[in-house]
Amino acid sequence: MKRILSSRLAIAAFAISASASLAWGQTDTLRIAVINPFSGPMALYGDEVARGYQLAIDEANAKGGVAGRKIELLRGDASSPPQGIAAVEKLASQDKVEVFTGTYISAVSNAASDAALRYNRIYWDTNALAGDLTERGLPNFIRSGPYASSFAEVSATATKELLAPALKKDLKDIKVWIEHEDSIFGSSIAKLQKELLEKMGAKVVGLGAHNFRSIDLADSILRAKATEPDVWIETGYVPDGSLLLRTMRDQGFKPPAIMMVGTGDTFETLDALGAEYLEGVAVVGYPRPDQTEAYGPGAAAFLAAYKKKYDRDPIAPQGMTAYVGMQMLIEAIAAAGGTDMEKVRAAAAKMDKPLKSYASGFGAKFDANFQNTRAFPTVVQWQSGKVVTVYPKDAAQSHVRLVNLPRK
Amino acid sequence: METFFNILLSGILLGGIYSLVSIGLNLIFGVVRIVNFAQGEFVMLAMYATYFCTTHLGINPYLAVFLVAPLMFLFGLAVQRTVLQPLQNEPMMQIFATFGLLILFENSMLALTRGEAYSLSGGYSSVAISLFGLKASGVRVVVFFAATGIALALMLFLQRTMPGKAIRAVIQDRQAARLMGINVERTYLLTFGLGTALAGVAGALLAPIYTLSPYIGENFILAAFAVVVLGGLGSVPGAYFGGLIVGLIESFAGFYIDPALKQAIWFIIFVAVLVVRPSGLMGQIGAEEVGLREQS
Repeated sequence: MKRILSSRLAIAAFAISASASLAWGQTDTLRIAVINPFSGPMALYGDEVARGYQLAIDEANAKGGVAGRKIELLRGDASSPPQGIAAVEKLASQDKVEVFTGTYISAVSNAASDAALRYNRIYWDTNALAGDLTERGLPNFIRSGPYASSFAEVSATATKELLAPALKKDLKDIKVWIEHEDSIFGSSIAKLQKELLEKMGAKVVGLGAHNFRSIDLADSILRAKATEPDVWIETGYVPDGSLLLRTMRDQGFKPPAIMMVGTGDTFETLDALGAEYLEGVAVVGYPRPDQTEAYGPGAAAFLAAYKKKYDRDPIAPQGMTAYVGMQMLIEAIAAAGGTDMEKVRAAAAKMDKPLKSYASGFGAKFDANFQNTRAFPTVVQWQSGKVVTVYPKDAAQSHVRLVNLPRK
Repeated sequence: METFFNILLSGILLGGIYSLVSIGLNLIFGVVRIVNFAQGEFVMLAMYATYFCTTHLGINPYLAVFLVAPLMFLFGLAVQRTVLQPLQNEPMMQIFATFGLLILFENSMLALTRGEAYSLSGGYSSVAISLFGLKASGVRVVVFFAATGIALALMLFLQRTMPGKAIRAVIQDRQAARLMGINVERTYLLTFGLGTALAGVAGALLAPIYTLSPYIGENFILAAFAVVVLGGLGSVPGAYFGGLIVGLIESFAGFYIDPALKQAIWFIIFVAVLVVRPSGLMGQIGAEEVGLREQS
């Protein structure tokens, strides 16, 4: 009897010591939750972002995990801010999630990160674009990926360094029309594009806003056509971007260069316009795995791992940015020795990796608002029905040449 | 000047799209007196059906219309018979029911497509017509002529045939029509089926123009309601010319004022017409009230 009692006491003591080794609210695996839409019209990209995370987690787990624990990825389905809050509350309180990540819809990221703060959880964002997410100075919020300003910046520098030379003109002789959908997403990028391009010396001949739900955009195209721009830049979503391009074609509007920002580099645009019309269209988007290993070390390995696990090519480039973001998060947790909010922030603040350190070409250096200042989109060009990285120049493969510029 | 005429042309062609979508809605609104929020989703379903016919069955989208429209007619009959007719004496509940259908159709399509956008690319959607400096999309020209043809055919149907006359009688006063021996329920059934089939035609003809998403119906429905009220309840010419007016206003306002303000501008005109002439530009005076009074 005594022996049974002592063995039970020993088991109980072991259980207590085991649980004591984990902080309150922790499980033996480190649970990271991704907040994204996994149902509804935006689920496609939500899934893609989660796939990127899972690949980075698989990599880390194969090496023993982080801070002595294996990592587990949980999903919180959220397409709207209230759903984001509900998902965080459930995952933090019931599922003992220690770190949140996500979220390519800025409004959801905003609300969900606020909710995560109430549980003192880090919100490590990899794919939201709105500038105010970091500017609000939330103490648990860190963004590892590029944001709206980065897209505006790259579209402006690519106009100067890529398009103007291809059109054989000085930037000061280049006329630019900036078209954008009229929500804060498109408007904020367009405003910054205008500032940057004018500062560089280009002539911005027009700034056009449209509603992305419009069923006719002939007015927007005719306004732009009347100014005879050399470069037509558009920031919007897939349906309005496709409708604008179709209307351009119908109206015989042929600007020498077309550059889409944010969307326009997936099969959806290819289906809508066809390879022939898209030939030469440039797109500023998330870095893609076809870039050089010198620019994005590990990009080819990411692509191989993706194909092996999911038996297909990546659906959209968001996945690689998410993958790299998760790698940075795991590094920060390792450096912090755990998931304590203050310690992870302190570890992130110390990160100092140059550009071209990760598969996406990103480096890691966070500013005072915890925005990664070394994360930029790249520019791809449609060539024979495929998108090919063309800018920055060292990201482009050596055999890649610009095509159809100026557009015929 | 060339630009002016191009804007005029694009406004007329946009008007053709609005007319095409609105004629079916107007018929249902004017006869059955249901504010059918799901009409845009009928268009959306027809677009996907056309996409399916074209990509999976290899049917030309302009031939698919002869398959999609009858199917939508049957679908409309089923919706009217099983969902709306049981609620016939509860107009508010009918409105909620159509709203429920809207959500149901949207979410069903979301589940099927996972939100991926589809497009009918290829020869048809890329044909552009250029004449004396005027430029237009071939598929939009087809839509305009189809809307004109449908409006004429429907007017003839309503004027010359017995079922058409029954429909007109119900538009004017359903109780009097019943007293004259018209089977009102059967007229509702026929009208709803016809309105849904017209949504089917619209969906099939619009599929080559747009990138398909489960939410695309919502993009049409707001304008279609404005066209219906502007043109006049139950008036086929009203829906046709109302569509053209809205299209022209939108096109000119978008070019000469601001594309971001174009909807606001035609809604100002819409409200003004409502205040001055509540029956709409071509509706029968008083028709906006007759059908909504207590009737059974």
